[in-house]
This record gives sequence, C-alpha cells and structure tokens, in this order.
Amino acid sequence: MRVSCLQENLAKGLSIVGRAVAGRSTLPVLSNVLLATEGERLKLSATNLEIGINCWIGAKVEEEGAITVPARLLGEFVNSLPPERIDMHLDQETQTLNLKCAHFESNIKGIDAQEFPVVPTAADGDVSVKIDPATLRSMIEQVVFASATDESRPILTGVLVQFTEDSLTMAAADGFRLSVRKMPFDSYVGAPAEVIIPARALAELARISGDQEQPVEVTITEARKQILFHLENIDLVSQLIEGKFPDYNQIIPKSYATRSILETANFLKATRVSQLFARESANIIKLDIVPSGDELMNGRITLMATSAELGDNVADLDAAIEGDKMEIAFNAKFLIDVLSVIDTPQVVLETTSPSSPGVIRPLGDENFVHVIMPMHISR
Amino acid sequence: MGIKILPPDVAAKIAAGEVVERPASVVKELVENAIDAGASTIRVEIQEGGKRLIRVMDNGSGIPAEEVPLAFARHATSKLASIDDLNRVTTLGFRGEALASIAAVSQLTLVSRPASQLTATRIRLEGGQQKSLSAAGAPAGTTVTVENLFFNVPARKKFLKATATETGHIQRVVTCYALAYPHIRFILETDRRLVFQSTGSGNLFDALAAVFGPDIARQLLAVEGDLPASGETGPARVTGFTGATSLHRGARDQIILFVNRRWIQDRALNQAVVQAYHTFLPVNRYPVAVLNIEMDPAEVDVNVHPTKAEVKFREPRAVFKLVQKAVREAVLASAPTPTLTTPTLSPDVFHTGHAGDFRPRQTAFPAPAGPAASRFAFEAQRPADQPDDSPSPGLPDGQVPPLRVVGQVQQMYIVAEGPDGLYLIDQHAAHERILYEKLMAQQAQAGAPRQQLLEPVLVELSPGQAALLEAEAEALAAVGFDLEPFGGHAYRIRAVPQLLGQTDPTQALVDILAEMADGATPLARETHQKVALIVCKRAAIKGGQTLSYEEMRELVRQLEATSAPRTCPHGRPTMLHLSAAQLAREFGR
Repeated sequence: MRVSCLQENLAKGLSIVGRAVAGRSTLPVLSNVLLATEGERLKLSATNLEIGINCWIGAKVEEEGAITVPARLLGEFVNSLPPERIDMHLDQETQTLNLKCAHFESNIKGIDAQEFPVVPTAADGDVSVKIDPATLRSMIEQVVFASATDESRPILTGVLVQFTEDSLTMAAADGFRLSVRKMPFDSYVGAPAEVIIPARALAELARISGDQEQPVEVTITEARKQILFHLENIDLVSQLIEGKFPDYNQIIPKSYATRSILETANFLKATRVSQLFARESANIIKLDIVPSGDELMNGRITLMATSAELGDNVADLDAAIEGDKMEIAFNAKFLIDVLSVIDTPQVVLETTSPSSPGVIRPLGDENFVHVIMPMHISR
Repeated sequence: MGIKILPPDVAAKIAAGEVVERPASVVKELVENAIDAGASTIRVEIQEGGKRLIRVMDNGSGIPAEEVPLAFARHATSKLASIDDLNRVTTLGFRGEALASIAAVSQLTLVSRPASQLTATRIRLEGGQQKSLSAAGAPAGTTVTVENLFFNVPARKKFLKATATETGHIQRVVTCYALAYPHIRFILETDRRLVFQSTGSGNLFDALAAVFGPDIARQLLAVEGDLPASGETGPARVTGFTGATSLHRGARDQIILFVNRRWIQDRALNQAVVQAYHTFLPVNRYPVAVLNIEMDPAEVDVNVHPTKAEVKFREPRAVFKLVQKAVREAVLASAPTPTLTTPTLSPDVFHTGHAGDFRPRQTAFPAPAGPAASRFAFEAQRPADQPDDSPSPGLPDGQVPPLRVVGQVQQMYIVAEGPDGLYLIDQHAAHERILYEKLMAQQAQAGAPRQQLLEPVLVELSPGQAALLEAEAEALAAVGFDLEPFGGHAYRIRAVPQLLGQTDPTQALVDILAEMADGATPLARETHQKVALIVCKRAAIKGGQTLSYEEMRELVRQLEATSAPRTCPHGRPTMLHLSAAQLAREFGR
C-alpha cells in the first residue's frame, strides 16, 4: 500500500471514526483503525462491535493495500502534524505503516487488515428512507437524553424508532421520564418497522452529521439485526437492541387538571438558578402553580428549592394558567434536560396531581411530547 | 444393579463421615462428652495433628462397667430420654452418634471408671468391631484414645491437610471451649509439647488471657445486653468480650460465638458483630469478639446438623439485633483513642493497619529539615488548665476532653494538649469525621426524596421476602419506596428512593430486603456510601496544608462536638494519644 493524502482530511476522518473505536477490548484489533484503499479514496473504519463507522477521504493511491494501526496513536500523531501532505507506505513483510509528513517520519506497527471485522456499508438500491440531516439531528437531541444510562435494563438504553408509511417516531425513557418526537414524511418505501437503536449510536450519528447537507439514507437489515445510516462519505452501522420497548402511548396522560403556558427561556433560566440550591438536596424543585382565576388566565408559577446547608431560592414566573391550583415537585435535572431541547419560544406544562405525571410540550408543535414523573419527600 | 440395603459397616462409615470430618471433629465430640460428664480438668493430647493419635482425658463422672459396650451402639446416649427432651437440650451432645461414629473409622480405646467403682473398664474397638473388653486400673474419669483415624477410609484420609493445619483446627476447638467454660481447666499437648493451658479459675478474663495473651485481653471490652421476653419469644442475654477499635484482624475468624455455651458458626451473627463496628474499623478489617448468647433452649434448634455447628433461632432477627446493639454499645462507650505504643507494650496491637504505621520512637518528632519544618514550632508552653494525669471528671467515654492546640507537624498532624496528656490529630481524618456527621444530620433532616416511576414495576417476591416486606412496610415507605400489593406475593413498585438513581428498581428492592433480613436498616449502606463519598471529595483540609492557629483550634473544637470523634468515616483513627504517665515513663521521671 502506497497512499498520499492531506493532513486535514486524514485528521478529520480519524476524528469521525475515532468514537467507534473500542476503549478496552480483549480483541486488540478493535482498538485499531482500518486504513484501506478503495479506488481513488482511502477508507477509514473503526468498530467496537456495537457501532461501526466507515469514512472515505480523498487520496492519491499509488498502490492498493490495507492495514490496521492503533487508532489513538495514529489520531494523536496526525493531529500534531502540520497541514501538509502525508505519504503512507506499508511494509507488507513487517505489517508496519511508514508515514512521512514535512519533517516527521514515523513507523507504526499494525495488525493484519484480515483480522479486522467487516463493517458493512450501505449497498445501493435498498434504501428505505431519506431524512434531512438537520431534522434528524434535532429529533435525536430531543429524545436521546431521556434514555437510561444504567445497563441493568438494556432496552431502556436504546431509543425506539418507528417507521410507518407517513411518519418516523423516536421515543426514549429511563423509568422516570419519556421523550417522544414524531416527524411526518412521505418517502418511506419499506414495510412499517420498529427498531431499538442504542442511544450511543444515535448520539454519534447526530455528532457526525453536523456538517452534512445531503439527506441521510437509512436502511434496516432486518435479517442481520442492524441499521445503517449512509451519509456523504460516511457510513454508520449499529447493532439493534432486541426486546420489547414499553408501550409509551399508555404512559402519556390523555387529560390534565392544570395547563400552564410559560416562556421557555425564562422557565429554563429559573430552573437553572433553582438547581444551584436543589442539587444539595436530591435535586428537588417544587412548583407552586397558582392560576389567577380571571378570564385572561394570568397566573404565576413559583419555583422553590431548599438546601438545609446552603439556604433557599424562590423564582416567580408569569404564566397563562388554566385549571386548578397545584403543587408538584420535579427533579431539576429532568426539567433542564427537556427545556434545553425545546426550540419554541413558549412551552406548555400539563399537570394532574402531585403524584401524576407532568407533561411538557412545545407550544404550537404537536410533534414533541415529554413526560416527567414527579418527586416527593416522605418524612 | 438392584436396590439393596447397605451392610451395617458401610452405613456406619457413611454416617461417621457426617460427624467426623477431620481430627478436630473428633476432639470436639470427645471434649463435649467430657464437659457433659462434668469434668473439671480436660487434657487433650495429639500426635501428628491428630492423624496418628488423639487422647482426651477427663476427671468426670465416668461410665459404669456394664454400660461401656453400649456406649458404642449407634443412637445410644445418656443425655436424652424422650423426644420432649430434644426440644430443651441442655447438654452439648444428645444424638448418641459421636462415639459410634468415631469408633467406626479408627482404632479406639476407652478406659473409664466412675468414682464409685473400684476398677475401671477398658474396651478396644477397631473399625467399630469390639476387639477386647477387660478390667483395668485407672483414675476416676474417662480416657478416650483414638489412633490411626480413617485407617479404613482411605478416601477421607487422603483429604486430611498438613499436620500443622490439622493441629491448628484442634487448637481452635480446645481454645474455644476454654473460653466457653472458664471453670474447666483445659490442657492441650501436641507431640508431647504443652501448647495451651487454661487456669480453670472460672474467670473469663483469665481464659481470654490464656487464649489471646494478656496484651490483647487487656484491649477487650465487656459486652452485656438483654432481650426482654416479648410475646411468644423468651428472654435472651448476650455476654462476653469484644475488641476495642484499635484491635482488628484481617479475617473474621476471631469472632467466636456461643449459644448456651455451645460453639456455633452463624454467618448472620458474625455479620452483626462486624456491623457493630461500622465506621470504626479500617476497610476489610474485622474485630475480635467472644460472645455467649444465653436463651431458653426451646428458642433455638441445635439439631440442624450432625456436628451441631449450625443452629436455628426461632427469632433470628431479634437475636441479630440483640448482638449488634450490645456490641455497638460496648464499642461506642469506649471507642478509645489508640495509644502511642512504647516498646514496653506489645507491638501486636498495631501489627497492621494505619495506626500501626506509627512508631513514636522514630517518627513522632522528626528532626526539623527544610523550609516546611520551620513551621514546626511549639508555642511557649503554658500549663494546661488541668495538668494532672487523670481524665477530666464526668467525661463520657468515647468523647475527647477539651484540647488545647499546640502546633502542627508535617502540615498533616495537629499536636494538642489535653488534661490527660498529648494528642496527635490527623487533620484530614478529623475534618472527614466532622463533615460526615454534618451531612448525615442533614440527610436525616431532609427526609427521604421519592421519585415516581414512569410505569409501576411489578416484582414477584418469595414468601419470605413478602413477609418481611409486610413487616417492614413502614420502614420501606419512610426511605421512599411506594409499594402496593398486587395479589399473592407480587407487588407493584410505584416510586423508589431518589438515592437509588437509575438502578433497576426490582433488583434494588430485592437487595434491600436481603440486607434487612440480615438486620440492616434500609438504605443505611447507600446513605453512608453517598455521604462518605461526598466527604472524600469535599474534605477541604488535606494533608500537606498549613493551618493557622485559629483554623486548628476551630477544627479541634468541631471534632470535640462530634459523636464519634476518634475515627473517620472509613474507620481510620483521627487521633493518637500519649498519656502524661507514658510521657513521664519515657523520660524516666
């Protein structure tokens, strides 16, 4: 193998695939990144067997070939090189990759490319759906934070993704909250499908689709229990989580006793301030929801956080409130998480009782709904 | 191969295997017989770890000549007459299996003479077969000699451990019984060498000194606790000695438990003793304790296992709490500051652990060196308020007297003077203790935050777990569980303590129930861990930080106000004490 490419391109490609590299693995080759020539391009590939990422960069290929080298070393080395041309040459005999760039020359010992697991690439023709990358990113951001981080319930560490004829829905829940985002579309060609994608894979997808402009092509390989996202010059493949996701429609309350409309930014800011005090005492924020009783539905929501050690904080928010007076307590972190991903200027909070779920929706956007379970203090 | 009844000798060998596991089991059975015979002196001789020879001599009641052959019949005993007696066993033996079992797997000679008869009877058996029976001359009492144990069971013989190991097991049996029966004189000889001897004075302290050595015996604290009778449960009482917090071991095997003076193994009670030392001992160190639980024999079933090492309590949780509380009280009452060891005291006290790193002769007052040492400056010595040697009057045990800060050593230790001598305080450990108590108080005050679940989680419990859950429903609700019955032994978890975070609710509940079955307070462990973690992260004062006089004085003042000022939350000592008397002695005054 004899290849030349620009330092900027290689550094960027390595940073894209780098997150799929296995941190610690009993298979040494999984800590490596695969470099392989493909026509006039250089393919970079990494996988931890759950997620795999392929990335192609422009290169001048003089001699075909492939090798895997330690991902971390190569990434850090390339990052510290000047922005010039890098010449790479593989010594087949010793499986050592020679890199030259400006005044630097290094030899990196690799592992035979044959040992690297095959990361599938999306084949032409069985694309199921195309999604605008900005929309996909916003959908992921609105649900992925609600998935569980604890591995004791594997299903909840994933995001439920439902494809129907006219819409795509993502849902995530960690046992205390639920986030559901829907997107109507008209281009789905496959059969209706339901898959659970690891939240990590989606977070990664959101990250690497940052500067994409072409639609993202999504393919489910039913038989192989994998999902493929094809981006411009990048493929991301993820294993799917097997199992049955809880029926989230049952969890979303159908009615409410009190409906409050608040300014999203003010609500978020007040919650952040309250959390300074709440984080000392189990992150509890109490919401005192007081309707004014007049026709104009003027009302007030008071956020209260108390810490035995630090003191307390009270924040008043103007709100249009319809319904009963109500006191309810939430985990401040949960409120901040959801309010941070709502992009409408106003937000709706629906509550029924101090021990019933609270519902948060962006005002005027029917496609997103978030459910948070309240907290209590037993004495 | 068809089914057939086993020949008697095969059946006997199988049964013997349950009772006689190793030489130490033989010693245990024979010593128990001697104790039941009312002996006041029991002499045990062994050779080659008991593999070659075990001889147990007593001066007890002896066996009348006509009953001697009968003693070796299976299920023959003088200790039990009817099944009702089994419910209130007061003797150590009662199954009538021991002698028969031992005889089945060895060459056994028994010589016995009741005081009222003139001649003794001598019987010899090999592999359970009587070889000879004759009259002989012997002192009053019984002597049993067991030779070539397992000579006819090569499989078992192969698995015997090294002589030293087997000797160790035998020694443990004898010393444990010496502790349980301080009024009996025990003598142990291995290979004709005296290795252990108790006085038989009836004083437990003498027995402890004989077993552990006087240095350790001095560090033992008396334990006493009563459990009043309640409902159907009879009263129980625990007495004995437990180690001071400065005394600890790397394993749990120095926790020795007796029920009605029967040496028992009980994992839960063992744990009760360990828990009583919570935060007082360094991590993975265990206390030394010798405890006897007295209770109505009807309250405890000793007939669980042929060796009777395990017992079943009718109310295991009540017994657990009794032991834990009594030991905790004894420990809290003393919680003595580790004293600076001088060569005249046993170095064994500090043989391991943090306290042991302290060697006053070398490190207490290092020669000033470098710029850091220049801060090591004693203030002009003013006499303390109470310069005399005796501790200040009316001071509760376990607390520290008012201390006057003298200075700082190595930017790590505060030197302070108290009415009873010199104190060295580890500033980091002391601050950890202060923060820990402050945060624990806040946790208690803040109540238990409860997080509702998105969907109630259904949990299927075992009948035992369900009964415990019903009994402790209030305690579980108080820490933040919201549980509702769902028919049978199923429950729905509607809310969990916020402290648990994202842990699987089902698993968390099952774990907590298991801990409660062992007598733990629900979530106590989680709370302790959380608070201890915060303390670790936040303990602002670390070693290597120079403190002003005011800062040191404030730290010491706050430490004095804590409930357990002498250890940090991880069980390390916060202070070392060098008494005025010790100082005087060291200076030869």
